[in-house]
Formats: sequence, structure tokens, C-alpha cells
Amino acid sequence: MSATTASAHAHTAHEHHELGFVRTYVFSTDHKMIARQFLFLGLIMMILGGVLALMVRWQLAWPETPIPGMAWIFTETTPPGIIQPPQYNMAFTMHATIMIFFVIMPILAGSFGNFCIPLMIGARDMAFPLLNMLSFWVTATAGVIMLSGFFVEGGHAAAGWTSYVPLSAVPEYTGVNWGQNIWCISLFTMGIGSMMGSINYITTIINMRAPGMHLFRMPLVVWSLFITAILLLLALPVLTSGVAMLLFDRTLGTSWFRPSGGGEPLLWQHLFWYFGHPEVYILILPAMGIASEILPVFSRKPIFGYHAMAFSMIGIAFLSWVVYGHHMFVSGMNPSLGMAFMVSTMIIAVPSAIKTFNWLGTLWGGRIQFKVPMLFALGFVSMFVIGGLSGIFMASTPVDIYIQDTYFIVAHIHYVVFGGSIFGAFAAIYFWFPKMFGRMTNPVLGHLHFWGTFIFFNWVFFPMHIIGVGGQMRRIYNPMQYEFLQHQQHWNVFMTYGALLLGATQILFAINFFWSLFAGRKAPLNPWNSNTLEWTAASPPPHLNWGPTLPTVYRGPYEYSDPEATDDYLPQNQPPARAGARARGH
Amino acid sequence: MLDWWLPENVSTYGRDIDWLFHLIYYITGITAILVFATMLVFLVMYKDRPGRRARYTHGNTTLEIVWTVIPSLILVVLTFLSAPAWSRIKIQAPPASDFVVRVTAKQFNWQVTYPGPDGQFGTADDKTLLDEMHVPVNKVVHVHLRSQDVIHSFFVPNFRMKQDAVPGREIVQWFEATKTGKYELPCAELCGFGHSGMRGWIYVHTPDDYQKWAAENLRAEAAPAAAEEKKPEAATPPPAPAKGGKAKR
Amino acid sequence: MSPIILESPLARPPGLDRSGGRIPPAPPTRDGDDDPREPTPGGSRLDNARLAMLFFLAGESMFFAGLISSFLVLRLGAPLWPPPLQPRLPVLVTGLNTLVLLASSVAMIAAMRAVRRDDGRALVERLAVAAALGVLFLVVQGYEWARLIHYGLTVASGVYATTFYTLIGVHAAHVVGALVWLTATLVLAARGRFGPGRLTRLRACATYWHYVVGLWPILYLTVYLL
Ligand code: HEA
Ligand code: HEA
Ligand code: CUA
Ligand SMILES: [Cu+2]
Repeated sequence: MSATTASAHAHTAHEHHELGFVRTYVFSTDHKMIARQFLFLGLIMMILGGVLALMVRWQLAWPETPIPGMAWIFTETTPPGIIQPPQYNMAFTMHATIMIFFVIMPILAGSFGNFCIPLMIGARDMAFPLLNMLSFWVTATAGVIMLSGFFVEGGHAAAGWTSYVPLSAVPEYTGVNWGQNIWCISLFTMGIGSMMGSINYITTIINMRAPGMHLFRMPLVVWSLFITAILLLLALPVLTSGVAMLLFDRTLGTSWFRPSGGGEPLLWQHLFWYFGHPEVYILILPAMGIASEILPVFSRKPIFGYHAMAFSMIGIAFLSWVVYGHHMFVSGMNPSLGMAFMVSTMIIAVPSAIKTFNWLGTLWGGRIQFKVPMLFALGFVSMFVIGGLSGIFMASTPVDIYIQDTYFIVAHIHYVVFGGSIFGAFAAIYFWFPKMFGRMTNPVLGHLHFWGTFIFFNWVFFPMHIIGVGGQMRRIYNPMQYEFLQHQQHWNVFMTYGALLLGATQILFAINFFWSLFAGRKAPLNPWNSNTLEWTAASPPPHLNWGPTLPTVYRGPYEYSDPEATDDYLPQNQPPARAGARARGH
Repeated sequence: MLDWWLPENVSTYGRDIDWLFHLIYYITGITAILVFATMLVFLVMYKDRPGRRARYTHGNTTLEIVWTVIPSLILVVLTFLSAPAWSRIKIQAPPASDFVVRVTAKQFNWQVTYPGPDGQFGTADDKTLLDEMHVPVNKVVHVHLRSQDVIHSFFVPNFRMKQDAVPGREIVQWFEATKTGKYELPCAELCGFGHSGMRGWIYVHTPDDYQKWAAENLRAEAAPAAAEEKKPEAATPPPAPAKGGKAKR
Repeated sequence: MSPIILESPLARPPGLDRSGGRIPPAPPTRDGDDDPREPTPGGSRLDNARLAMLFFLAGESMFFAGLISSFLVLRLGAPLWPPPLQPRLPVLVTGLNTLVLLASSVAMIAAMRAVRRDDGRALVERLAVAAALGVLFLVVQGYEWARLIHYGLTVASGVYATTFYTLIGVHAAHVVGALVWLTATLVLAARGRFGPGRLTRLRACATYWHYVVGLWPILYLTVYLL
């Protein structure tokens, strides 16, 4: 209850100055510090996930040739450094697992959820600061558990990030023993952590909004995080139960999924995708919110169709529960169900359509400033459109018969998760960096990073559509083993060059990030002339965010270029000058 | 344009799939072009210039209704166009045929079983070939798909045919090849370290060639033919070796 | 996932002051141009602890929904249920055991009554009774499990055992968790930390207890009787 947090605050507030290093940087209950911790967790994991991806790419372009610098890992081959099929499977499995569960979720939901929610709704902290801290440390523990899997006998999980049974349920089938168990345990732990987080987010948004901040004055990023939290709360436990059963099958010898004992292999797929599809919207919704936040600021223009934006996200959230079967069209599931899932999948494209066109509408007639966050936001919109449109191909069941489990899917994945979520994450990092760390990032490096990422991203992933149409299957170790794929091998080489460049470009980001962190120009209070509340707090905001009084909210978050205002922006907390200007927006 | 990339289609229902593929390709392509064109125009037209002030608007209901309804209509149409092909390929009972083979997938092979003269599975005269299937052209073939360990996926790119093989159940699929030749049969579902390279061949013969082959190979005492050295009739010309072909085959 | 209680409020009614005394409360909403119905500041009828509890239970329910639906899938997929040549489940004893658990819930309700009357002793006693009944339930369950295993129904013997041990075991784990929480609450109660105005922690614990108890009849129905 409010009083709780309050007393918790008072508590921390009292000995704030004499808080030691540990209480300030490690076991901090301050939502902003926890946000930074989540951000670092995600970025560091991203290096690992990226390196795994580059190994995968190398093998696909130049099969069974030594990967430079990997001789010390793959020692048993001659010459050393060649990745073997079991390790290849492990590589893409962990690549995906890490990128999804320990990069995107920590950065978007974890970091920016923690940073934005209290600051943008005008709260002093999360409803349950201690629970918040726990949720980070549980997630971090899950990450450590996941990493430990690389060092166990038999290697890490190698059944794909979807871990289809019985392949993943019986050690003999993959030769992986503890790796898969650790995979289960880690995701179980992660599930607990994300549950703590989501409960906290939901409660905070419902109960801790500043005076005047009613639901339809909340910034859209808060809306998106609110909906994401609800999806997390309801979807993750299903995965948690699933991995628990899988773990029991592997360790206790139960037979949930093993046909030999009377189990049902497809049951896992139903459980996994019942979680899995909401999951993919968990990955994209915050990015959508971030874009809806950044586009108005740098077009100096109110968001186009605020309510449509909010309701379309709600619509996506509801629909995301009834489309999961589109991952199982040819799995042996009753084909009539396939028909039903095709219909629902087609429908779910509509809210996304609404959002896309509203984003365009926001640009229309604006005063567009091409700052780095804006570039990434625009990149997000365009890449998401490509990724989304490729989803339509698969939504059509007959077409999916052919392209299911080909690189067409891989292209779709990356256009939505990298072009979508990761571009959104970069946009958010550049946008809130000044508030988060009190320093500006370097715009030149920023522009270079954007253009490099944008060009090389398309270089890597667009041709995947082509080889996918050509029939190249996912998760294959060596395309050259198939005669009908050999004629398009040059694409694989081409893409791998792109991937290496894409990875290299991220070094610019790392440099910019750390250089700005210590030597960046001191950030003013409101560098982007933005309306939302977080820019009224000092940068970086102190503990409890605001001084004696909380800001009071008088209007919606996107009142840019209001003709009645002198400036081209009207902060949410600025008292209305005249009766005329009252209750603008919503 | 897709045809540059799609493998040649040699099955009856493959045509329907390719047609839909192209349709969606054009719909989405046009959509994408429109979206990007609009975006670029806006970015150029409304680029920040001194003295200009942005248009102050919160939206436009008619516009929003329009761009909600149009995509919805397109998608509805798409759904109705997709449904028949789907039900023909997967839902309806396959067209009647006396040509039945049982394919049992295992790590990492396709075991293709012919019922033999008596047309019954599980009898002495069954014949099982490894990683090769021989069928006559222009004949509906029923495939009884099984798996004895993990999930595999029966994928014939040239037939536009794919179906997972799930342990513990038998799934009946069908195809009708329209052109003789030798077609690749990869496994499309991750099934272990041997997933890559789990691959068989489907030989589509002219009816008399098939009869000849059957007479030689499906008689009880005959030994199963080895796949590779067998010269396929009218096989599709082997594709050009790839540029990046450092690979050992 | 009981750490929730770590955050439950201490002794202050909701809404008045969210600043911990050091910082003056936020300005009244009326300064805003929004409708005065807007609660000061933000907020719903329910206080944070109750809301959080609500959502926590929603998540828990999805977890059990996953298990139960999986059970139903296997159960309805199986030709014969229970499979032949496998020991039957002790329906009667477990039925009685169900009553034991329900009784503990009653005790919990009584405890809440007591604290509203600010009757500390009664509170402690009734909480103790609830806990004791919970323990009894677990003991009986454990005994039944031992007998089943003795009869050869081990975890590894097919779907029947799989579903039974998983579902019941997971619930038992939740009972243990609830018991730990209840014991902690009991200690606090003994220290006289709860009173009419100060029972948020107690209420959270009670809610969870009722939830865990309430789950049982559903599981009993599906696993034993269905
Ligand atoms: C961020 C994650 C994300 C998002 C947002 C989406 C969005 C969508 N996805 Fe995707 N999907 C994944 C992540 C995501 N997906 C992943 C990771 C997989 C692979 C899992 C695995 O197997 O490993 C997958 C797989 C996947 C499949 C299974 C493929 C297969 O294995 O056979 C399908 C099938 O229907 C699908 C469909 C869709 C659809 C219809 C959308 C829609 O929501 C898209 C809607 C958006 C648009 C349509 C574009 C904008 C709209 C317009 C410009 C308006 C005009 C449009 C029209 C008129 C059509 N996805
Ligand atoms: C979040 C999701 C995400 C992201 C970001 C990526 C990123 C990349 N992916 Fe990923 N991929 C998936 C999700 C993702 N992928 C999924 C779900 C699958 C399916 C797996 C399966 O089949 O089970 C998959 C599968 C997959 C395959 C198919 C494997 C196969 O089926 O055989 C390939 C092949 O090319 C690939 C390549 C790449 C490449 C080259 C990148 C590159 O973009 C990577 C570039 C990034 C880096 C090189 C890191 C750089 C470092 C930083 C940015 C941090 C900076 C550091 C600080 C500031 C401290 N991926
Ligand atoms: Cu069999 Cu992949
Ligand atoms: Cu999906």
C-alpha cells in the first residue's frame, strides 16, 4: 500500500547518504539503479548471444572450416576450430535463448520498465522496491544458471530454443544431459523473477499515478509496459509449468511428453506456444511504446490517434492468446484447428496495421528532427513492417506448409526481434541515456551506429527471405549437403560478411556507451524538449525522483506545437495558463 | 519474381500454393512500397526547417477507420482464398488411390516400406528401402507417416509438401507428382545432431519404368536397390556448384 | 514467491501520506483540471498489497491451469483410465483429508475475526490451529504416497503416476510454502504486530492460505474422482 512504499522510502531516504557501495550499486532498491543493472545484464548477454550467432553464420557460409579464434574451444577437430553438428545445434539454441530471455526481456521489460514506469507516472519508486530488487537478482541468477550450462558434461541444450520433445525429453536423443536440465531450471527461475517484476509493474501503474495522471493521460510507453506486464504475468507461468514437467521427465522419469510411457509429444508444443506467442508480443510491445514515445517528440507533433494506439495494443494482447497454433500448422495438430488459427492470425495483423498507419500519421505535417533516437525509431517502424508482412505469408496455412522451418521464418524472426525489439531498445537507450546517466551520448558515433546497423542488418537478414523461398531449412548444419541448396550458397557467404560487419558496428555502440558514460557532455534537464514527467526530474533523478512535491498532471503527454502555447511543447505538469488551454488533449 | 528462387514445382497442389504465395507476395509488396514511399515523402517534406510549426492534430477518425477497414478486408479475402487449398491438402480425405507407402522416420533416415504384392503392411512380402522412394508419375501416392524416435518432418521442396512425423501416431499425407525425375527429401524438423544431412530421394518414374523397377526390387527375394548409383530417368540436371563451395561433401 | 510480504505495509492506513514523513504529501488533485473523482494520487479502491496478491494469484492460477490442462490432455487421450494393473488412489482417505484442509481455512477465517476484535490471544491460537491442520494434511498425504509407492505406483510407472505425483506434489509444495509463510505470520502475531488497523500482512498471508486450500478440492476432483 502507498504507506508501505512511503515508509520503505523514508527508511532508505534516511540513511541515503550513508548507504555503502553495496546498498547503492548492488543491492539497491532504487528503481533507477535496478533499471541500469538490467540494462548492463542485457547488453553483456547480447555480446555472448551475438558471438554465438556469428559462429553459426561462419559455419553456414564456409561449412566445416575453422572459425578464426575458436581453436581453443573446438579442440577435438583437425584442424582445430571447426564447429561440429552437436555444437552447432547448441550454438543456435543458446543464441536464441539468450537473445530472447536474457537480452530483450531484461532490456525492454526489465530496464526500461523499471526506469520509465515510476518516472513517467510521477511515482517516487515502484510499489514494492524490495521485491523489485529481488526480481532483478532472481533474473540475474537465472542468467548465471543458464551460462553454467556451457561448462557441463555433454554441452548445453541443443534442441532449439523451442526444445521440442521427445528430442529434449530423452538425453540419448541429443547426447545432452545436464545442459537441457539447466536450461529448464534457468527458465523456471527466470519465470519467478519476471512474475515478481510484472506484479510490481501492474500494481505501481494502477495505484501510484501522480495527481491528475489518469489512465488516458499515461504515455503510450507506460501503456505498452502495463500490457506487457499483464502478458508476462499470465504467459510465463505456463512456460514455467511446461519446463517443470520437462525437467521431471528428464530427471524423475515421469512421462508427460515421452510416448514410450504414454506421454503426448504435441502437448509440449501446445504449452510452449501458448506461452510463446504472447511472448513474442511481450518482446515487441515495449518497442512499440518506445516508438510511440519518440516519434511525437522529434516530429514536434501530438501522437496520431492516442486512443487507437492504446486500444490496438490491448487488442493485440487479447488476440495473442488465440493465435499460438500458427506455429503448429504442420505439426500433426488437427488441421481443422489450423484453419481456425489461420483466421485469428490474420485478424491479429489488423491492430498492428492501425499502429503502423498511426505512426505514419504522426510524421505527417510534423517538424521532423533526425536525432539518433528518432532514426532508430524510424528504423523500428520500417523493419517491423517488413517483419510483420512476412508474417502474413506464414499466416496463410497453405503457404506455411512450404515455408515452415525454412529461412523465411528465420528472416521473419530477425526482422521482428532485431529490426523491431532491438532497434526499439537502441532508440530507448539513446533517448533516455541523458536521464538515466546524466550525460549526453555522442551524436556522431550515434549516427554511424544507426546507419551501420540499419544497412548491415538488412544485408544480413533480407537475403534470408530469398534462400528461404529457395527452400533452405532452418537449423541445418551444412547447406552444402543438399543438392537443391548448393546453387544459392553464395547468399550464405554474402550474409555472413554482413553479419560480421553488423557485429563490428556494435563496437561503435559499446564505445559510445562507455565513453559517454564517463566523459559525455553533462545532460540538461530536458534535452529533447519533451513533455513527459521524467524530464522534470533532475538528470539523473535523485532517490525518490522529485523534491518535496510530486508533479501534478494537467494534460496528455503529447501536446506539441499547441497553437495556444508559446513554446512548441507543453509539459504535462505545467499549470494551464488560461481557461482556454485547459484540458487539452484528453 | 518469386519464380527465380522457388524450386521447380512438380506436384498437383503445389500450383495452388505457389499461386497463393505470389498473391501474398504482391499484396505485401505493394503494401510495403506504399508504406515506405509515404514515409520517405513525409521525412523529406516535413524535415525540420526554421520558422515552420508542426501541424497540431490528435488524429482523424475517418482516416483511422479507413486504414482499419481496408487491411481487414484484404486479410479476410486472403483467408477465404487460402482456406480451400488448405482443406484440400490437409483436411479432406486424400483422393482415393491404391498406391500406399509407409514412411517411418528415425534418427537419421527415412525408412520407406512398400506393402508388397499383397498390398498389406506387416506381412512377409513387405519391402523396406532406406532413404529412397520410387513412385510413378501422375499417380496419387498415399504416405503413411510415422516416427520411431523423435519428431522429424517430411519435406519435399519440389512438391511443396511438408508434414511432421510424430512418434506414437500415424499421419496420412498424399501427393501427386506431375513430372518424372529425382527429387530431394530433406528432414525439416530439428531431430538431433544428424538432422542436417538426414535426406532421402524420391524417384518419379514413368509408369512402365516404375513397373520395371518394381519388378526388380519389390519382389520378396530381391535386395533393396542402393540409392546413389542408380541413374534416375530424366533426372533434373544437377545444379551448378556453389560459389562458396569450400565444403567437403 | 512469498517475498511479497516483505513489501506489505506496516501500520498506516492507505492513501494519506506516500512520502514517508520526510517529504510533504503531494498537492491535492483539485489543482489539476481533471475530474475531482480522481483519487488522490492515482489509485484504485484496493491498496497495493491486495492488488499485488490478486495478480500473484492470477499468475499462480495460470501455472496450475497449465498442469491441469496437461493432465486432462493425457487423461482423455488414454484408452483406459486408470490404466489396468495399477493401484487405485485412496479416494476416501483423501476425501477426509480434504475436510481437514478446508477446516484449516475455517480456522483462518476465525483468526481474521479475532484480529478485527483486536483479540491477540485468539488470533495466535487460531492461526496455530490452521497451521496444525495444514501439517496434518501434509502428513496424511505423505503417508498415502508412501503406501502407493509401496504398492508399486512410482513416479516412473506411466502417465497415471506421472500426472498424479506431479499435480499433487506441486500442490503439496505450495502447501509447504504457505505453511512457512503462515509460521512467519504466527511469530509476528505472537509479537502482537497485528491489530484492527494493522493487518495487511496478515490478510495477504490469509488470502494465500485460502487460495492454496481452495485449489485442493479442484485437484481432488480432477485427479481422484474424474
Ligand atoms: C517480436 C516478435 C514477433 C512479432 C511481433 C511477430 C508478429 C507476427 N508473426 Fe511471428 N514469429 C516470431 C516473432 C514475432 N512474430 C518468432 C520468434 C517466430 C519463430 C518461432 C520459432 O519457430 O522459432 C515467429 C513465427 C511466426 C509464425 C510461424 C511460422 C512457422 O514456424 O511456420 C507465424 C505464422 O503465422 C507468424 C506470424 C506472425 C504474424 C501474422 C505477426 C503479426 O503480428 C504481424 C503484424 C504486422 C504487420 C502485418 C505489418 C504492419 C501492417 C501493415 C503495414 C498494414 C497492411 C498489412 C496488410 C494489408 C497485410 N510468426
Ligand atoms: C532477440 C533475438 C535475436 C537477435 C538479436 C538475433 C541476432 C542475430 N541472429 Fe538470430 N535467432 C533468434 C533470435 C535473435 N537473433 C532466434 C529466436 C532464432 C531461432 C533459433 C532456433 O532455431 O531455435 C535465431 C536463429 C538464427 C539463425 C538460424 C540458425 C539456424 O536455424 O540454423 C541465424 C543464422 O544466421 C541467426 C543469426 C543472427 C545474427 C547474425 C544476429 C546478429 O544480429 C547478431 C549481431 C549482434 C552482435 C554481434 C552483438 C554485438 C554486441 C552488442 C550490441 C552489445 C554491446 C555491448 C555493450 C554496450 C556492453 N539467428
Ligand atoms: Cu530428422 Cu531432422
Ligand atoms: Cu506466433
